Amino acid sequence: MQIHNAIAHLTQHLVDRMGEKISSVSADESRGEFVINCTFSSLPEICGALFNNLHYSFATMIVEESLPIRYIFYGDGIVVHVLTTMSERDRTLPSLTGQFHAADWHEREAEDLWGINFKGHPRLGEFVLHEEWPDGVNPMRPSFDGHKPYPHRQIDSRWQPATILQAEGSFLMPIGPIFSDFAESAHFLLETVGEDVLHTIPRFFYKYRGVEKIAENKSVSDVLLLAERFAGTSAFAHSLAFCHAVERLCSISVPWRATALRIFLAELERIRHHVAGIAGICSSTGLAVATSQMSVLEEELLRLTCTLTGHRYFFGMNVIGGLPQDISDDAVKSAVMRLSQIVGELNLLFDMLKVSGSFLDRIEEVGIVTEEKARSLGLVGPIARASGVPIDLRTSLPYGGYATAPQLSVPQESEGDGYARLRVLMQEIESSGTIISRITAKMPDGPVKAGAIRFVSGSALGWSEAPLGASFHWIRIDKNGTVLRYRITPPSFTNWLGFHAAAENFAFQDFPIIMATFGLSNAECDR
Amino acid sequence: MSPWATKGMLSRVKTTHYPDRIDSSDGMTPGRPSDTALRNNVINFGCPTSAIEETASGVSVDFRRCVHCFHCARPADVALPWTTDYEWAKKINTTNSPWKENRLAFRHSISVLVVDSGDCGACLSELKQLSKPYYNFHRLGYFVTPTPRHADVLLVVGPVTDNMRLPLLRAYEGIPEPRKVVAIGACALMGGVFGPSFTSSAGVADLIPVNVEVAGCPPPPAAILHALNVATGRDQHTSEFEAKPTGLDHVGQ
Amino acid sequence: MWDNSILLSLFFLLCVAGSVIALLAPDRLQIRSMAGIAIVAASVLIIWSVVGFLSGNVHDSPFWGVPFLGAMILHVDPLASWFILITAIVFFAVSLYSFDYMKRHRGDYGVRAFSVFYHLLFASIVFTLLSGDIVSFLVAWETMTIFSYLLVNYDHEVEENSRAAYIMLAMSEAGTISAAFGFLILGAAAGSFEFSAIRSAQHVLTDTARWAVFLLSFFGFGVKAGLAPVNVWLPRAHPAAPANVSALLSAVILNLGIYGIVRVNMDLLPVSHSAQGMIVLAFGTLSAVMGILYATKENDLKKMLAHSSIENMGIVIAGIGAGFVFMTEGVPSLAGIAFIAAFYHMTNHSMYKGLLFLTSGTVDAQAKTRDMNRLGGLIHGMPWTSGAFLVGALSIAALPPFNGFVSEWLTLQSFLQSFTLSSRGLKIEFVLCGALLALTAALAVTCFVKAFAMSFLGPSRSENAKNAVDPGRSSKMAHALLAIICLGLGILPTYCIPAIDSMVSPLTRYHAIDELVPPFFSAPQGNEKFSGSFMRDFQNIGAQVGQEVLPGRGLVIMHRGLQRNPVVFAMAPSYTFVMLIVLVGGTFLFVRAMTKKRQRRRAATWMGGLRTLTSNMTYSATGFSNPVRVIFSGIFHPSVAQETRHAVESHFRTALIQEHEETHILERWFFYPIANGLQQFSRKLALLHSGKVNVYAAYMLTTLIILLSLNWIN
Repeated sequence: MQIHNAIAHLTQHLVDRMGEKISSVSADESRGEFVINCTFSSLPEICGALFNNLHYSFATMIVEESLPIRYIFYGDGIVVHVLTTMSERDRTLPSLTGQFHAADWHEREAEDLWGINFKGHPRLGEFVLHEEWPDGVNPMRPSFDGHKPYPHRQIDSRWQPATILQAEGSFLMPIGPIFSDFAESAHFLLETVGEDVLHTIPRFFYKYRGVEKIAENKSVSDVLLLAERFAGTSAFAHSLAFCHAVERLCSISVPWRATALRIFLAELERIRHHVAGIAGICSSTGLAVATSQMSVLEEELLRLTCTLTGHRYFFGMNVIGGLPQDISDDAVKSAVMRLSQIVGELNLLFDMLKVSGSFLDRIEEVGIVTEEKARSLGLVGPIARASGVPIDLRTSLPYGGYATAPQLSVPQESEGDGYARLRVLMQEIESSGTIISRITAKMPDGPVKAGAIRFVSGSALGWSEAPLGASFHWIRIDKNGTVLRYRITPPSFTNWLGFHAAAENFAFQDFPIIMATFGLSNAECDR
Repeated sequence: MSPWATKGMLSRVKTTHYPDRIDSSDGMTPGRPSDTALRNNVINFGCPTSAIEETASGVSVDFRRCVHCFHCARPADVALPWTTDYEWAKKINTTNSPWKENRLAFRHSISVLVVDSGDCGACLSELKQLSKPYYNFHRLGYFVTPTPRHADVLLVVGPVTDNMRLPLLRAYEGIPEPRKVVAIGACALMGGVFGPSFTSSAGVADLIPVNVEVAGCPPPPAAILHALNVATGRDQHTSEFEAKPTGLDHVGQ
Repeated sequence: MWDNSILLSLFFLLCVAGSVIALLAPDRLQIRSMAGIAIVAASVLIIWSVVGFLSGNVHDSPFWGVPFLGAMILHVDPLASWFILITAIVFFAVSLYSFDYMKRHRGDYGVRAFSVFYHLLFASIVFTLLSGDIVSFLVAWETMTIFSYLLVNYDHEVEENSRAAYIMLAMSEAGTISAAFGFLILGAAAGSFEFSAIRSAQHVLTDTARWAVFLLSFFGFGVKAGLAPVNVWLPRAHPAAPANVSALLSAVILNLGIYGIVRVNMDLLPVSHSAQGMIVLAFGTLSAVMGILYATKENDLKKMLAHSSIENMGIVIAGIGAGFVFMTEGVPSLAGIAFIAAFYHMTNHSMYKGLLFLTSGTVDAQAKTRDMNRLGGLIHGMPWTSGAFLVGALSIAALPPFNGFVSEWLTLQSFLQSFTLSSRGLKIEFVLCGALLALTAALAVTCFVKAFAMSFLGPSRSENAKNAVDPGRSSKMAHALLAIICLGLGILPTYCIPAIDSMVSPLTRYHAIDELVPPFFSAPQGNEKFSGSFMRDFQNIGAQVGQEVLPGRGLVIMHRGLQRNPVVFAMAPSYTFVMLIVLVGGTFLFVRAMTKKRQRRRAATWMGGLRTLTSNMTYSATGFSNPVRVIFSGIFHPSVAQETRHAVESHFRTALIQEHEETHILERWFFYPIANGLQQFSRKLALLHSGKVNVYAAYMLTTLIILLSLNWIN
C-alpha cells in the first residue's frame, strides 16, 4: 500500500510536472522500483527535484561502460532509478553537486576511475587516485587490466594541497597517513593559524584496494568473499546487502528461519560495532576505566560471535539464499541469555557515562553537524540520526524480514554534536537488544538455505542498514553467475563526506574526539 | 572515590593466562583447517584461495592462504577437521631476510609500530584487543608507538595498497636496527582476497623483508601475541622456520 | 693630555673630511670612501675613548664663545667616554657592514647624500656626548635628530617610510622641547648654561622645580630612549630605515636618551625623592613588558627587533629607576649595583641589537623579505649569518654564556635586594616590577626562539629564502666582531664591571665594585669586608684559580651581605663558560666514543608517511606566537574580519579569508587620544582666524590691555 501510494505520489509530482523532460517512465510495484529515463541535460533538474522537493535520499551513482549512467534514490519504501546516457564522444555529464552535495564524492570518484568529466563540479581530480597517478588512466574502464600491478610512479614534488584559508601565517597541520596507535590510514590536513583549526581537508583512499574492479568477471561466491571482507568490522551487514542483491535478482526466496537468524546476527554485529565505537569515544577523551570496561564487553561479544558462528567477525556466515549452516535453538538461546547480560552491563556503564562531567564536557558541543547540513550532505546512519534526520533502511526501505519484524523504533537526537551521536549509539544498542529478544522468542523452524540457485542475467540493488548506516550493493551478473559490474556504496563513504562539516572551528585537541564520535571506517570508505 | 575507580577495582581480572599457559576459552579463535591423511573420496572443497592442495599423502593446507571461508568446514559429510589453536606465528628465514636472534636487544620493553597498509579493519580490530584488558600486552612489555624512531617491531596489516607503499617503506626505513617485521593476516602474507592486483601487492614481503608471519583472516589476538613473542625471541617453543619462496625483487625500490 | 685632544680633533676632522669627500668623489668610489673614512674615524675614536677612560680624568675645555649665551664647552668624563666608546664600536661595525650592504642601494638612490648625513650624524652624536653646556648640547642634539631623520627617510619613495620618519622627527622635537624646558629651569636657577655651574647650584632649586626638571627631562629624553608611552615612533621608524641606520638607531641613538636622563638626573641634579625613582622604575618596567609582548607577536623581523629595543631600554630604565630608589633610600651599594647592571645592559644591548639589526638586514637583502612567515631554512644558505643571529638571539634572550644573561641577572638580583628597603610601598612596587621583568625575560626567550627557528630553521617558505646566500666578507666580519664582543662581555664581566663602576662611582660617590667583584687576589690583609677566614673559604673552593695567570680582581661576581648571610648572590660566568665547554665537549666525545662502533644508517625525517611535506605544512611564525596572542588578547585587542567565498555553494568553499587588524595599545590609549585632542583644539583655535582686519586689530588691543593690566597689578 505504501509502495502504491509512493509511486502515485511520484507520478503526480514529478512525472506530470516535468513530463517533457522525461523520456520514459516505468514502475514495478512488486519490487518497489520506479525507473525514470531522461537526457543528460535534464538530469540536474529531475534529480534536484527528487532530492530537494520530494525529499528522496540519494543512494548511489552507478557508471557502466556503454550502458546508461544510473542514479539511485530511495524513500517512501521505493527505490527510484534515474537513467541517463552521456555522450560517448566527450564523456561529459552535468554535475549534480549544485543541486545537492551528496553527489559530490560520487562524481569525484567517477571522474578518477571512469574518466567522466562532470561539468560544473568545482573540485575534480586527486580523489581515489592520488597525485602521482597519471591523468587519463582510469582503472575502472574495461580497457584497464586490473590484475597486473600498475607501475610505480615518481613523487610529484611540486604538488600543493588545495587550501582555502587565507590569513597571515596560516599553515597546515598534517596528520597521517600513519598516525596514532591503531588508527586506520588516512590523511588529514588541518588549516589553522595556531590553536583553532578553521578547516579540515581529509584525504582518503590510502587503502583503495579496487574491490569493484577486481570483483569483475568473478563468480558470485567469490565476490561474496570480497563483499564481506572489504570492511571486516561490519562484514555481516555488507555480505547481507550483497546476498539481497543476488536474491532479488534471481528471485530466490530465503527461508524464514534464515531470515530470522540473519536479523539476529546483523543486530548482534551492530551491538558489537557500537560497543567498539563507544570504547573509542571513551578512549579519545582519556576515560581509561570506561574504555577498558567497554573493551571487555567488546571482546566478550567477539567471543560470543565466534562460539555462535565459528568466526569472530561473522566471516563466511552469509551465502546466497540463506545461511551456510543452521544455528541450533539452544545455541541461540544461550547466546541471547549471555547477550542480555552484556546489554544489562552496558546499560549500567551508560548510566555512569551520562553523569561523568569531565567526559561530557569534552564531547558536548563538539563536532556539530546541523540537520540542514546532514540533509544536504545526504548523511546516513547514527550520524544522521543524531542530527535529527530519521533515516534508517530498516524502516524506510524495509528488507529481509524487517518489514514484518516486530515494531522497531529508530532512536533519534537533534543536537548533532558528539554527545548526541554517543546517545544514538547507546539507544541503538538497547533497541537492537530488543529486536533480538523479540525475534529469537519465536524462531521459525525449517531449513536455513534456499534450494538450488539459478542465476539470471541482469542487475539488482541490495541494501542493508550496516552499523554505520545505509549500505548499497549493486550488481550486474550474467546467467552463469559471473559478476560484470559491482558497485558498493558503504555508509562510511557517504558519511566521510560530512566530516569536514563537523571538523571546522574547533580546538586542535578535539580532533580525536570528533573522529571517534564519527567512528567511521576507512576500509569501508576506501574499498 | 570516583565511581569509575570503584567500578574498575570491583571488576574481576579478565586477562588471559596466555602465554604462560594455553588459554582455551570459547571463542578465542576461529580455528583453521588441518592437514589430513589421504582420503578415498577426494572432493573439491571449492577453496577460493587455493589453500588446500591434495597431494599423494593427503590433503595439505597452506595456512598462509587460508581466509577462514569455512567452505571446507561446513559440508556435513566430508568436512576437513579444524583445529582450535592459535599459535600460528612462523619465523621466516630466507636469503633476503635471514633470521637473526636478537634476544638480548629485545629483552626489555618493546615498542611496536602498527602500519595499516590497507586492511579491512578486522586485523586492526584484533590488534586493538591486544591493548585491552583481555589480552593486555602491556603486561608483557609491549607498547605501541606512533613513530618509527622509537619502534623495535613493525606490525603490518593489509595487502599493501598502491597508496600505502611509500608510507610503509618510509616507516620501515625509519626503524633503527635491530628491528623485526611482523606480517599479520592473510592479506599481509599473500594479498588475501584482494591481491595481487593493480592496486594491491601480493603481501608485505613484496616490499620489505618479513621476519615473522602470522596467518589467519584475521589472526585472533592471541595469535598476534604469539607472533610478537616469536619476533622478540621470548617464545622458546617455536623454532621452526617457514621456508617459502619469496620474490623480493622489489626491495629497496 | 695634548695627544688625546689631537685624536679627538682628528676624529672631527675625519668626519668633516668624509662629508666633503662624499660631495666630491665619483659615484663608484662613494661606498668605499664612506665606509673607509668612517672606519678610520671610529678607530680613532675608540683609541681616544679607551685612553681617556683609562686615564679617568675629567676636564672641561671651552672651544667656542657664543655671544650672549656664554662659551661652548667640551666636557670629558668617564660617563661620556663610555657612551662614546659604545658609539665608536657600533659605528666601526656598521661602517664595515656598509661596504657590502650599501651596494644594494647604489641603484635606486645615490650614496652621496647618505654618506654626508652619515658622517655628520657620527660627529653630532659624539658632540652631543661631549657637550659641557646647555647650548652646545641642544645644538648638537638637534643636529643629531635631524640627521637621523634624514637617514631614516633615506628610502623616501616608500610612503610608509617617510611617514614613519616624520612621526619620529615630530615626536623627537616634542621630546627635545620638553627636555629644553627642563634645562632652562636648571639654567635659570644656576644663572649659567654651563653644566659645572648647574652642578654647584643644585641647592637653589625648590622641590617643585626639582620635580619639574625631573619630569621634563625624564619624559623628554624618554622619547629618544624609547620609553613607553612616548615611544610610538620607534616601532615605525626603526624598520623603515636601511639596516645599517636601524642598527645605529637602536644601538647608539637610544643610548643618547638614556644619556640625557642620566646626565640630568644623576649628574646635574641628582634625584632627591624616592617617588621619582619609583616613577622611573614603573615606566621602565611598563616599556619592557609592552615591548616584549609586541615583539613576540610581531612577524616582521625588523619590527620585532624594534619592539625588542623598547623592551631592553625598559630594562635599562627600570635598573636606573631601582638605582634612584636605592640612592634616595640611602643604600648606595645596591644603587651602585643597579646602575652597573643598567649600564651593563645598555652596553650589551648596543652590541647584540647592532648585531641583530645587521644580520636581519642581511636576511632582508638576500631573501628579499623580512616576514618570518616567508623565511625559513636560511641556515642552509647562510650559515655565517645564521650563526651570528643565533649569538645575538642567545644574548638577547639572556642565556649564558652570553652577555645578556649577566646584566639581566644582575638587574633581577638588585631587585631582589629590595627587601632591605624600609618602605612597604617600595617593596610592593619592586616585587611587581621584578615579576613583570621575569615575565619579560621569559617572553624574550619565546620571542627569539621564534625568530631564529622560523627564519633560519625548517623548510624555506619562499623561493627567495631558498636561494639566499651569505653576504660578502666585510659583512661577515662586522657580524663576527659584534658576536665576539657579545661573547666576551658574557664571559668576562669581571673585567667590564670595574670599568662601568669607574663611570658610575663619580655619580653615586660610592665604589660598588668591592660589593660586586671582590678582589680575591689583591685584598689587603685585615680588610674588614674580606676577613681572612672568608677569603680562605673561597680560595679553598677554587676562587684563586688563575691567580697566577689572570690579571684583575678575579672571575667571580659576588655580592656580600651581612655577617649572617655572607654571600647574597654570586656567579662566575667565566667558569660557567669553561664548564659548559667541558660538559658539552665531554658529552660529545663520550657519545662519539660510545657509538663509534655502531652502524650508522640515515633515514629521512619521519613525517607520518607523507609523500611530500610542503613548506606550508610546518609551524608558521604566527602559529608559534599564537598562544601569546591568545593569552594577552586583552592587550592586543585584535579585530578579526572574516570572509568566505564559495564556488558552487557553501559546501565548496574556495576561500576563507581572515584579516587581523590591531592598534598598538599605547597608540590606542595614549597617542591617538592626544593627537585627536590636539587636532580638535587647533580646529577651535582656527576659528579665531576670521580673516578680517578689524578682528585682528581687536585681538591686538585686547592683548595690550591685558599686558598693561598685568603690569599694573605687579
